[in-house]
Amino acid sequence: MNPFEEKLRNALRRKAPSEGFAEKVLARTRGLPQPGEKTWRQFGAFLALPVLRWAAATVAVCLLIVAGLVHHQRQERLRREGEMARTQVRQALRIASVKLNVARRRVQEIGRETPPSRL
Amino acid sequence: MNVTQGKIHINAALILAGAMLLGAFNPPAFAQNPKLDIKNLEPLAKKASEVVDVNLDGTLLKLASKFMTDEDDKEGLEIIKNLKGIYVKNFEFDKPGEYSQADVEAIHEQLQRPLWSRIVSAQSKKEGETTEVYLMTPSDGGTILGMAIIDAEPRELTIVNIVGPIDIEKLSSLEGKMGIPRLGKLEPAKKPEGQHETQK
Repeated sequence: MNPFEEKLRNALRRKAPSEGFAEKVLARTRGLPQPGEKTWRQFGAFLALPVLRWAAATVAVCLLIVAGLVHHQRQERLRREGEMARTQVRQALRIASVKLNVARRRVQEIGRETPPSRL
Repeated sequence: MNVTQGKIHINAALILAGAMLLGAFNPPAFAQNPKLDIKNLEPLAKKASEVVDVNLDGTLLKLASKFMTDEDDKEGLEIIKNLKGIYVKNFEFDKPGEYSQADVEAIHEQLQRPLWSRIVSAQSKKEGETTEVYLMTPSDGGTILGMAIIDAEPRELTIVNIVGPIDIEKLSSLEGKMGIPRLGKLEPAKKPEGQHETQK
């Protein structure tokens, strides 16, 4: 065996790891970022921006206002339609009642004018 | 005329004859409907000086009833409670003769027996006024299905069509309430038992 071979054998000789090697490796990997974790962290940091928080709050308030306005308009339209329908009902009942009573009155008048023998 | 045209003419004649036969042996399809077709009167609106056009179906009546909360509305609310529709057309004209008898006849044609019956017909020949009241009742004589009033005066035409179980007594007793003018002393009306036709 020449000296080169001797050096190579020594270099490639199996060595037992030092005590606590595995724990040290695990401990170091825990500190490293996981795949995809970076993106989420960046997104989280982006969301945490005060400007964005204000913007989100403003949008939420605007949405609430719009929803409130739409609801109010719907209620207002319903109220207007209801009031209009009520007016129409009153008008229709007024005409119907008047015409009915006019007919009845005419019949009664004729009945009074007609001699009993002719009835 | 070629052969194809001849066939078309024959087919058209057959269809027409069939329709006429159907019309002759069956009452009009709308005759049994408590809701009258009064669209033919719409052109009169152009001639009229005043028009009242009320079209209230069941949905609108329900909506209206939610808003009839005044004490004054109480009796009206009771009347419309179970109704399915109220339709009124009232035309007032500046001069007589603005509507034709055909306009009224189109309504009369729908008020046919067996379901429709005229309970009141009051004519004033002197004043040229006619008021008719029709009721639609089922053949077994149960609840009223509808009512129609035709009031034809020289300068005014009124058609009232109420769909549903209308209480005539309550409707009549609205006089003096809900802004309805009191026409004068009227004896308590009796329930309609049959046809009362009177002419003046």
